[in-house]
Amino acid sequence: MHIKKIVLLSALVIVAFKSQAQKSEHLIPKDAVTVFSINNINLFQKISLDDLISYDFMEEVHQELFDGSTSGSTLKDSGLDFDQKLNVFYGKANKSEISGFTFGIKNEANLFKVFDDFDLLEDMSKNGVKVYGSFFNNLIIKGNNALLIRVEPTMEYINQVTDSIWYARGNESPFGYFEEDVESDEETILNEEVYEEDENIENETEEQLFPEASEDPNVKNYYELRDSIQLIIQEGQLDAILKELLEKNINLANSDVRFAELLTHNSEGVFYMDNARNIDKSNGLWYFQTVLPSLYKDIQELYNGNVILGDLYLKDQKVEVDIVAQYGRGLGEIYNEMNDSKFDKNILKYIPNNSSGYFSYNVNLRKAYEKAYEIIMPILNQEKNAQIAMNVLTIELLNEFINKDALFGTYKGSMFGSFNGFKKIKTKKIEFFYDENTFEYGERVAEAEEDMPIFTYGITIDRDDIPEKILNHFGRLTSKIQNKGKYWVFENAILDAAPLYMINRNGLFILTNDEDLAVNHADGYGKEKLNKKAAKRAKKSGFMYANINVAQTIDRFPMDILNDRQNEMIQTLKGKSGNLELLSSKTSVKQTEFKLEYTYQGTDPSGKHLLDLINSLYIVTK
Amino acid sequence: MKKNILLLIVLVFSLSSCIEILDDLTIHNDGSGTLRYNINLSSSKIKVNSILALDSLDGKKVPSIEEIKGKVQQFIKVLDAQSGISNVKVEENYTDYIFKFSCDFSNVLLLQEGLKQTVTAMTKEKNIQELDHNWLSWDGTKLSRSIPSISKAKVNELKQSDLDLLKTGTYTSISRFDRAVEKFDNSTAILSKSKQAVMVKTDTYSLRENQDVLENVIYLISNKN
Repeated sequence: MHIKKIVLLSALVIVAFKSQAQKSEHLIPKDAVTVFSINNINLFQKISLDDLISYDFMEEVHQELFDGSTSGSTLKDSGLDFDQKLNVFYGKANKSEISGFTFGIKNEANLFKVFDDFDLLEDMSKNGVKVYGSFFNNLIIKGNNALLIRVEPTMEYINQVTDSIWYARGNESPFGYFEEDVESDEETILNEEVYEEDENIENETEEQLFPEASEDPNVKNYYELRDSIQLIIQEGQLDAILKELLEKNINLANSDVRFAELLTHNSEGVFYMDNARNIDKSNGLWYFQTVLPSLYKDIQELYNGNVILGDLYLKDQKVEVDIVAQYGRGLGEIYNEMNDSKFDKNILKYIPNNSSGYFSYNVNLRKAYEKAYEIIMPILNQEKNAQIAMNVLTIELLNEFINKDALFGTYKGSMFGSFNGFKKIKTKKIEFFYDENTFEYGERVAEAEEDMPIFTYGITIDRDDIPEKILNHFGRLTSKIQNKGKYWVFENAILDAAPLYMINRNGLFILTNDEDLAVNHADGYGKEKLNKKAAKRAKKSGFMYANINVAQTIDRFPMDILNDRQNEMIQTLKGKSGNLELLSSKTSVKQTEFKLEYTYQGTDPSGKHLLDLINSLYIVTK
Repeated sequence: MKKNILLLIVLVFSLSSCIEILDDLTIHNDGSGTLRYNINLSSSKIKVNSILALDSLDGKKVPSIEEIKGKVQQFIKVLDAQSGISNVKVEENYTDYIFKFSCDFSNVLLLQEGLKQTVTAMTKEKNIQELDHNWLSWDGTKLSRSIPSISKAKVNELKQSDLDLLKTGTYTSISRFDRAVEKFDNSTAILSKSKQAVMVKTDTYSLRENQDVLENVIYLISNKN
């Protein structure tokens, strides 16, 4: 009986282990830092593959799919197993970047109709593993699961190895040759543009830019050497990842319990971002890594446990995202103090009820400063480095001498902002006028109007006398700054054409380009202020709240003022209708919870809305 | 350099909704003359300033004012060296964004050839088809004129969504002579009281809809008297 039980249990364990090993999420490499795992991919059955590959999170496999082979097909035709999760992952380590996705397979023949450029590289039938390769990516099939992966060694690492070999061979710097020819970076770029289109110049430039390192044609020049090294490193890194994943069975799900727990959720999708490893791999910290390794280790410890976990739920005309930002002890204590701030009701007066988008952010900068001082200074104090010691001394002296009541009374840390659409603002223009007799013309100044996005930004302030003092002094220096009683105006402050208004009242210091707010509503919008229901939601939210009418804000937002990355993010939401709302919970030393709700109208399938949101999150987190 | 020139063109035409363009051609009896070309962006100062504050627009690098100044000087230098063209000047106003170009020419063929050579040299592109189009001809009593094809091509590229705004942009074309005008073909053109100048004015919307709207053949009275 006892033996029977053991055998039965063993069989169960084996079956459980086997079934677990067969899931698509168990092919996610442990080096993945960001993962989107979509539990219910049935939602995507009707989405065309052409639509799917247009998403940014599909960019790594774009080349495989966007070759006409997918035209007119849907995900349903691609051989995917819709009972399994689809997992998209990305990770950046010091030496490489990895990206890709894992999924279950129902029909391998159909799958290869989509992935029609892959050749079989290795058949490890004994392990049930087949490795395929294309020009860009590798496809690994293990049982009924697949991993599509791209491994790219970082250029820094490739250059480091190339330089090491190049100089060890006794070569001279390959770059000195260029110095005389290159005028500036910009000119180099422009010349590249030219030689692409002009054959003669192209030949001439090629000769100049790619000097032979040696007279011997069998010896590689610097760039050829670098290409070879890149290939070797890439192969080596892929090999190491696959060995770890397929031979040692080490993957993210069995390496990180937080991710493993997340995978048990019943939501439509989950996401995971290990901020601690993001920090670890951040290029900005290379100085600490190399020059001050002990300080780097301390900073790293501060970030330990810093992870963002989320669930995506699909409801009727609504997508909800529950996000938990978990912290390590040190950072958690700082955030806990920072977010221990009372909501400033005054800001509600300055958000009009018809605002297209607004946010509030309530933090206590003084408490955060004091906690950060308490936690970070002992770490810095341990350092024996002269520069750090001088910095520590400076910070300690400033801490003693600076009037912190005045500083944090002027900037407490809480703020709000709103985007209130476009308004016509008055400007001056020059126009030509003509003499009827000769059509000779002259110039005259005339009134003009230009459309301008209307923004309001304000901070909570206790010491309103300080900005008043500054503005009074500047007002004496330039006639452009004028005191208008309830507000100040700075003529032509915005793009040398439009005025900026400053309102220093009711415990707030507000900057706006909205003349109506300054002139007619310096004490708030009165009855036109944000309605009670909306105000209550903002007040009830923790340290952060945002509400955006997507159609009115995103579609009309002046994209010109955003950088490329922000632009990319906003573009993903363009053309949508509905509302985005971000709420946060009270922060504890362990975590803060956020809730993002996206309500939408329209007939687009819910899966498409979910994909849109995943795409936005992917861009934000990548 | 090509990028910069193209970006300048894109910049100008992306602001067509609020641009004022004036081309003013004087033809003397001997066929010589003066071309003045003014671009006025003063009613779009905010937009111009916001674009110039960017690093890139639509994936192309936005030039700094210093770079624009450098290109303008280069344009002057190259055009001034062309046969039959002299006295090239460009007045640049970077406060209100008004640019006034003028040059003298000995005949309209050399003017067109000079402009073509200059644009080709600046862009380093050999085959710009739009430059092959002759937009001016003069036989001593008759002037046929339109606007350069390159301007037409750029107006054509404007977005449908900008159509309403385009109605506020203007393009004015003036032709001046030493003697009186007898008649002209373009029914929207007007004659000055002195009878020695003809003006055609349109908005950028109409120009987009009908790119021949500025075409005109102007006949002068005989100068045998």
